[in-house]
Amino acid sequence: MTISAILFLLVLLSAFSYFMGRQKIHAVYQQQRQNVDTNVRSKAKFTLPKYFGYVAALWSLVPALIVLLVIEIIDEPIVTNQLTSYMVQSNINVENNFDLYLNEIQNLDANNLADVEPAKIKVFEKLNHLNKIASTAKSVIVFALAILMTIFGLKKIAVGIPARQYFEKAIEIILLLAASIAVLTTVGIVLSVLFESIRFFGEIPVVDFMFGTQWSPQTAIRADQVGSSAAFGAVPLFIGTMLISFVALLVAVPLGLMSAIFLSEYASRGFRSFAKPVLEILAGIPTVVYGFFAALTVAPFIRDLGQSIGLSVASESALAAGLVMGIMIIPFVSSLADDVISAVPQAMREGSLGLGATKSETIVKVLIPAALPGIVGGVLLAASRAIGETMIVVMAAGLAANLTVNPLNAVTTVTVQIVTLLTGDQEFDSAKTLAAFALGLMLFLTTLVLNIIALHVVRKYREQYD
Amino acid sequence: MNNNTDQKTLDSMHAEHGKTVGQPFCKDAKFSTRNVDVFYADNQAIYDVSLDMGKNEVIALIGPSGCGKSTYLRCLNRMNDTIDICKVTGQLLLDGQDIYAKEQDPVLLRARVGMVFQKPNPFPKSIYDNVAYGPRIHGLTSNKAELDDLVEESLIKAGLINEVKDRLDSPGTGLSGGQQQRLCIARTIAVQPEVILMDEPASALDPIATAIIEELISELRKNYTIVIVTHSMQQAARVSQRTAYFHLGKLIEVGETNQIFTNPAHDLTEKYITGRFG
Repeated sequence: MTISAILFLLVLLSAFSYFMGRQKIHAVYQQQRQNVDTNVRSKAKFTLPKYFGYVAALWSLVPALIVLLVIEIIDEPIVTNQLTSYMVQSNINVENNFDLYLNEIQNLDANNLADVEPAKIKVFEKLNHLNKIASTAKSVIVFALAILMTIFGLKKIAVGIPARQYFEKAIEIILLLAASIAVLTTVGIVLSVLFESIRFFGEIPVVDFMFGTQWSPQTAIRADQVGSSAAFGAVPLFIGTMLISFVALLVAVPLGLMSAIFLSEYASRGFRSFAKPVLEILAGIPTVVYGFFAALTVAPFIRDLGQSIGLSVASESALAAGLVMGIMIIPFVSSLADDVISAVPQAMREGSLGLGATKSETIVKVLIPAALPGIVGGVLLAASRAIGETMIVVMAAGLAANLTVNPLNAVTTVTVQIVTLLTGDQEFDSAKTLAAFALGLMLFLTTLVLNIIALHVVRKYREQYD
Repeated sequence: MNNNTDQKTLDSMHAEHGKTVGQPFCKDAKFSTRNVDVFYADNQAIYDVSLDMGKNEVIALIGPSGCGKSTYLRCLNRMNDTIDICKVTGQLLLDGQDIYAKEQDPVLLRARVGMVFQKPNPFPKSIYDNVAYGPRIHGLTSNKAELDDLVEESLIKAGLINEVKDRLDSPGTGLSGGQQQRLCIARTIAVQPEVILMDEPASALDPIATAIIEELISELRKNYTIVIVTHSMQQAARVSQRTAYFHLGKLIEVGETNQIFTNPAHDLTEKYITGRFG
């Protein structure tokens, strides 16, 4: 029986327990009501029968699910173990290459065994046989348990048990599981990046990586290859990332802040309800679209403009990528700034206006200082978005790892290099591919620090008017 | 002109605005309002209110919640301008000038007519910067020393100086509620207004802080015209010379505070001050 069939039947069974459990309690209530006088009846409070139904359903479902999960985890090792002992008995020698052999067996096609060695066919049949036993055993164990638990559960529920509390506890545990999946995934990703980075730092010293100014990750596989001078200095990449992010923030912060002020303080309600969602759509445009916009429209325009005033501009310049990225992150700044400015108490505005301040004086001297922590939070959020952005820079900023702070030159960023290191057929054991993990780790740490600062600042803001 | 003819003029003026009981007009009015109506979109909040506020007097506006006394108060420095749907009609004269005239700058008006709010609302700045805020935006002082003097003087007048003189650089939001409200009064005084509007200035304060504020109001009366909205009838009786009773957007009765509280002329006023409703 397949897993989905087992799950389906388990759900059916628990639905059955639900209705049975509810019915049982309902019947008891009916009985009790007939015995009490009408005045008392309206005042007596009962736990609703459906909660007993839920408890019964959980009894049918949860133990069976746990056992199913355990069997799923242990059945493959058991089958493999059995197969090994069978092979030893039948004197089939696999020369220590058991995994490979097993893989071959598993990939055999039952309908096409014509030109396969007889020994392999024997093992293949044994494997199928074992799998069938395992599957049957699994179904039998799970259903036996489910039915037992259903009977036990239905027996156990009675008017006296705290069904509501049990159900609440179950809800709490389900929510906890959901939350822990997200947290554990994050931890897993961080750990895997960390371990791969440690492997990388085993080959390339940390100091060379963090302070080296030369980045050319092409490693020679054979000694006689050219271009084998691998260098893993990450400084040009981080300078490039910061340069582009700086240009982006230079665009996004003033534009975002001013549009936020307009939307929260000057715009009419109708205009605001139209303009704010439209502005937020900017954040929803896929970055790849921004990317070709940057590469095909903005970069050539900047190059031509630069040439017309006698500047030499690379056709893939940091400026073009930064400008487009700046447009992309406007909503991060404006939306958050708009929220925090609107959240400044009306009393602040009235206090300032009441002293004879104009609207713009009130905004500059009272509202922005009061909302500053929230605005800083928004800017930092936008900054971590800019640092992590990939598609725009892949398309518009180029691949050359130049160490420069001139925005008219082509630069490359950390994310772009990670993409180039890992695209194509790669083996994950060379310094070249492991470098991607080290870069990822550095990038992660940078955005993590920015996010922590942002969270801290935002939290401080929240306390301000409490 | 002798007193007799003055009284006659006032009486005849009153006859034209005959709906309000008592004496809504005074001889040398600082503020003089006639036939004021206020609308929020289609809802009328104030009906035909005519009232004068004399120089160096404290006038208390009392009445049940929602009777329009705060709305009326906010007309006097055009704070209602910030509400889009609010429309004010009628004549409001400050020293004979129409404050709703086209050429009147509401910003300058608010510098002349200061306001203290119900909830203390110091800016999240230092105590010094809170008081210096008004003088700075109006350019009242020409150098740091003058500004220091003005801040100190305002804090002295607001009776706060002894409590804050050692920590002018700490945030104004860190003070206690009563101190914050006195800081807001100091902030208002620093702009050197002619009229101070107070919208339930002590309603968020404990009795001790309230007593200090009330003492301060009596002190400020020497230099300013003060219009105070209050829910506390004891407070109105303690601080004001005249009292105006509002009911459902209408001005029911105006008179000497003593007379209003001891011998109200209108039925509704009597019911309110004796606590039979509101």
